[in-house]
This record gives sequence, C-alpha cells and structure tokens, in this order.
Amino acid sequence: MKLPLIKCNDLTKVYKMGQSEVYALNGVSLEITKGEFVAIIGSSGSGKSTLMNMLGGLDKPSSGEIRINGENLSTMSGKKLAQFRNVTIGFVFQQFQLLPKKTAHKNVSLPLQYRRPKPDNIDASVKKGLEMVGLADRAAHRPTELSGGQQQRVAIARALVGNPQVLLADEPTGALDSKTSEAIMTLLQDLNRQGITIIVITHEDEVAAYAERVIEFRDGEIISDHIKKAA
Amino acid sequence: MSPLTTLGLAASSLIERPLRTLLTSLGIIIGVAAVYAMLSIGEGTKREVEKQLSSMASRSFTIWPDWNRRRTSQSKPSFPFKESDVEEIRNIAGVFAATGSLQRNSTTISTEIGDTTANFLGVDPDYLKSGGQEMLAGENISYTDIEQSAPVVVISDGIQKTLFKNQDPIGLPIKVNNITFTVKGVTTAPDSNISFGGNADMFVWAPTSSARNRIIGGNPYVRNHIRSIRVIGDIGANFPQIEQEINIIMRRSRDIKTGAPPDYRIFSSRGWQERNAKSQKTISYLLAAMGAISLLVGGVGVMNIMLVSVTERTREIGLRMAMGAQKSDIMSQFLAEALLICVLSGLIGLGAGYGLSQISLGSEEIKMVFSSKIALLSFGSALLIGVIFGFLPARRAARLNPIEALRHE
Ligand SMILES: Nc1ncnc2c1ncn2[C@@H]1O[C@H](COP(=O)(O)OP(=O)(O)OP(=O)(O)O)[C@@H](O)[C@H]1O
Ligand SMILES: [Mg+2]
Repeated sequence: MKLPLIKCNDLTKVYKMGQSEVYALNGVSLEITKGEFVAIIGSSGSGKSTLMNMLGGLDKPSSGEIRINGENLSTMSGKKLAQFRNVTIGFVFQQFQLLPKKTAHKNVSLPLQYRRPKPDNIDASVKKGLEMVGLADRAAHRPTELSGGQQQRVAIARALVGNPQVLLADEPTGALDSKTSEAIMTLLQDLNRQGITIIVITHEDEVAAYAERVIEFRDGEIISDHIKKAA
Repeated sequence: MSPLTTLGLAASSLIERPLRTLLTSLGIIIGVAAVYAMLSIGEGTKREVEKQLSSMASRSFTIWPDWNRRRTSQSKPSFPFKESDVEEIRNIAGVFAATGSLQRNSTTISTEIGDTTANFLGVDPDYLKSGGQEMLAGENISYTDIEQSAPVVVISDGIQKTLFKNQDPIGLPIKVNNITFTVKGVTTAPDSNISFGGNADMFVWAPTSSARNRIIGGNPYVRNHIRSIRVIGDIGANFPQIEQEINIIMRRSRDIKTGAPPDYRIFSSRGWQERNAKSQKTISYLLAAMGAISLLVGGVGVMNIMLVSVTERTREIGLRMAMGAQKSDIMSQFLAEALLICVLSGLIGLGAGYGLSQISLGSEEIKMVFSSKIALLSFGSALLIGVIFGFLPARRAARLNPIEALRHE
C-alpha cells in the first residue's frame, strides 16, 4: 500500500450569503495516491472547483484538513502557501490564462520566475517544457498567434515547467472542440504515464474516460468514486 | 523574485503601453521641471540679492545737510558738517569706512598737453576705500597731506589718458582752475553705483584742506567744513544700529534739541533693497509651491493610471499568485512600476529644468543657478511621489484574492 499523496479529511466550505449558508463542500474525505489520474465530475455548482482550489492552496476550508505530502495546508502561512503552489502544484485553467503580450516562452517561464532560489537553467527548462507539449517551434509566438489547442498546450507546459507533483486542471477542454480535447487529454495521459499525478475536472464523459479513477460530486458531497481496473 | 527581475517586469509593462506611459510621465516631467526651475530661480534670485546687499553701494549711507530747510523762528538754517563729525562716525562699531568730502563739478583741469572738464573733490584717505577704488600708481592722499594742506592730487585713469598720454604722471604738475598741484597717485574711477552725472571717469581728488583753501573756499559758519559724508558698513553689519549712532553723533554735534527735526538727511539704498529681496523671496516660494502642486497632480495621475492598471491586470495578478507569486512579489512589481515611471520622468524633468536654466543664463530678468542640492531635491520629490502614489495601487494588487482575480473579466 502506497502512502497517499493527498489526504482530505471531512472538508467543508461554507459561504454565508446574508442569512442563509451555502455549503460548497459538505464533509469531503478523499485520498489520492501518487501517480493517479483522477477525473472529478458532477453537475454545475456541486463543489468541484471549490475542492480543486483547496487542493491547489488557493483557498482554505471552513473546517477539516488537507494534507499534501504530509503537510497541512489549512495551517500554512500565505508565504508558505505561495511557495507550495510554486513547487508542488501545476495549474491548468479552462480559459488558458496566458499573458497576451508575452511570448509562449515567457509565459511558460512564469512559475520559474517565482522559484526560490532562482533556478539557473530557466531557458533550458522552458524549452524542454515546450518540447513535451510539441510546441518547440512556437516559443517566440504570442498567444494571439496560436490556436486554442496550442494555447492550452502552452498552459500545460507552464504547469509542468516547475516539475510539480500534482497537475490540477479545471475543465482544461471546456473551451476546445472535441478533436482538440482528445489531443489535450492524450497529452495529459502521456504525462501521467511519466509519473505525474493529475486531477481533472470535467463535464464531459469522453474526457473523464481518459482517467483511471472518476469521482462524482453532488451538492458538495462525493456520491461515487470508481477506480477502473488496470488494463 | 529578484529585484532585477522585478525591475525588468516593471520596465516591460511600461514598454508594452508606450502611449499611456508617456502621458502619465508627462505630469511628473512637468512637475519636476517646474520644481527644479522654481527652486533654481529662487536660489538665483537669492544669490543676486545677496550680491547686491554686500556691494559697496548697498552698504553705504550718504549724509547731506538738509538744504531745503527754511529759516523759521524755531530752526536755524542748515549748515555743512565738520571734519570731526567724520572722525566720530568712523569710530562706530561695524563701520568699514567713513569719509567726508567737498565737491566742485565741472572744474577745468589742464596740463601741458591739454585741458578737460572734470569733477574736483576734496577728500580724506578713506574716500578711495569707500568707493571700492584701487590705486594704480603712486600713493593715496594722507592725513599729513590734509594737515599740511599740501598741493597734491590723485587723478583717475581717465584723466591720465587724456592729459598725460603715455607719460608717467607721478610728480608732474597739473593745474586746477589755473592753480598748480602735483600728481601724487592714479586710481580707477569710482563705483558706477555712485553717480556723478557727466564726466563719469574724469576725477581729480585733493586733500580736503587744500581743496577748501585753494579752490572751493571756506564756509562762513563752519571751520574746516565738509559738504557730505559717506559711510560704508562692514558686510553683515547691523545697519539700523549704525544709522541710529550716526543720528546720535549728528544731533549732538549740530546741537539739535530732543524732539526737534534733524537738519540733515541720511540716504540709504538698503531699505528698498531689503524689501525687494523679501518680495522676491515670497515670489520664489510661491513658484515653488506651484511646482509642488503640479508634481502632486502628476502623482495623482500616476496613482490613477496604476489603479487602472491593477484593475486591467487583475487576471494576470491572480495567475501570478497561482503560479507561486507572493504578496510581496506582486506589491513590489507594481511599486517598481510606479517608481520606475517617476524616476524616468524625474530624470527627464531634471533635464528639461536644466535646459531651461541654461536658456535663462542669457536673460537679465531671470537668474537660475544649477545646484546639485536643488536637483536632488526635485528628483527626490519625484521619487517620493512614486512611493506615495504607487503604494495604494500596489497594496490593492497584493491584497487581491487569487480565485476571484482569475475569474475577473
Ligand atoms: N465566492 C463565493 N461566494 C459564494 N458562493 C460561492 C463562492 N464560490 C462558490 N460559491 C458557491 O459554491 C458552490 C460550489 O461552487 P463551485 O465553483 O465549486 O462549483 P463547480 O462544481 O465548480 O461548478 P461548475 O461546474 O459550474 O464550475 C456553488 O453553489 C457556488 O455558488
Ligand atoms: Mg467549476
């Protein structure tokens, strides 16, 4: 039995809206092992993004605890959390979130700019990252000169460049057509085979099909958690 | 993030928005140039005034009998001064020179070479000192000359040129109204601030006694009379105090009863010069305040544009935070941007201000001086504006919630 990389214990997240309270998460417990490829599905508003933001250290739970690599995120200082995001997590967003005025190369290098101590081989790492997503020849292009699929691949290269342990992708194919989605998911699958843990939020069953494990949310709770038999 | 990377980030963000950067910096450029120009005009004026106030003319009092006074039942007619008055005044603390003189304008002076019209004066040894004149050859008039009523004169170099051509005049005879004197010395013409009307560089000076006895004639009421007295104070002396002591001496010497009006007048250019200096100082403060206000307006412009920039780049900020930027990284990124724009504009503004001051060097009305103190002050104020007005937007950026920022449209 492998030690869990991520361990969530009875997580809740409550938003107070005037008099009423909204439970975005309502008692979520979860373990994810290193090297897993997890898809999180569920209807809109079921708490998927809320969980993912907590796993990525962007948000804190109202109660419960999250441990990643044994470290408790809920008690970390803002400074430590920023460092944690930089070192341990790679984010991929639905809207790519590339800086429009910067080249692909610059965009990919972003996480390394905030790495302490400053790495001395940033350019080489960025090149390697762009190669992994098949865009080595587009390093000098700006996002506006790239297709949606290419932009998302730049974003994936950016998420990978700092050698994170976990890649968090919130609807990475949400803004792409089905053919491009397939290419992106195949890429993520390849990356997973190289050992990186991947958690993907999606609405689409075709996308979830690439994952080894599918967790379904409803109203802030996990209602099912399937692990596919290894092929 | 290293300071250098932060600076590079700030620089590239300014370069990516060239028009906005230019317009924003314009306010600071004008502000700094204005502050610099105003301060240096103020400093230039101050130096000019100091120079004026330390000049002989501004340190001088001239005392004349009040010839306008009519004989009435209460007052005697005015009469000339005595040589002893001059000696008493010379002993007042803070007096640099005091001299009494007799004067006769348009006197005919002649030598073997020719003749000319000149100002003829009877003077004491302090006279040359009080006019800022230097001996060019020979010697100044001495107290012995006065005691002996010696027939000697000192001439101005104008006289030497006209009446002696290339000869050395020392020891040569010269005629004043046909009476023969011997040239004892040559000196420069007096300070142009002391006006003699025409013949501005034609002067012949004789000892008071010989001038009185041989040319000008005595006074029926006063033995050894003096027509006017000139007093020069030391630089930085207490001038009102000197004037007060002159009054005490004069009233006693001329036997003026307490409360009675004086029968002499003291002329001093100092009063209006000091008032002038004061009003110029007020003007330069006013101008500096205007410069400061334009700098302030420039600073508000910087803050405004930085706030717009933070709002526009909310998603970028959220992204940077998600990628591991700390609050301090975001803070310094935006602060560096505000500072950089202010520093660059400050430098350009300084250049513009310096250019202005160079142009003004040719003008008589405006005096500007370059001083590193002023440059530092105006540049420093631009820096300060950057910190003050960059702080709020930078803090706002650093306090953004990354999740909300990423969702920002
Ligand atoms: N900042 C917030 N303030 C108040 N309520 C919030 C806030 N963020 C999320 N919620 C609520 O929490 C619940 C879960 O939101 P979440 O974004 O996690 O849903 P989701 O599963 O990601 O939905 P979608 O598939 O549409 O992205 C929703 O009901 C939402 O309205
Ligand atoms: Mg969501």
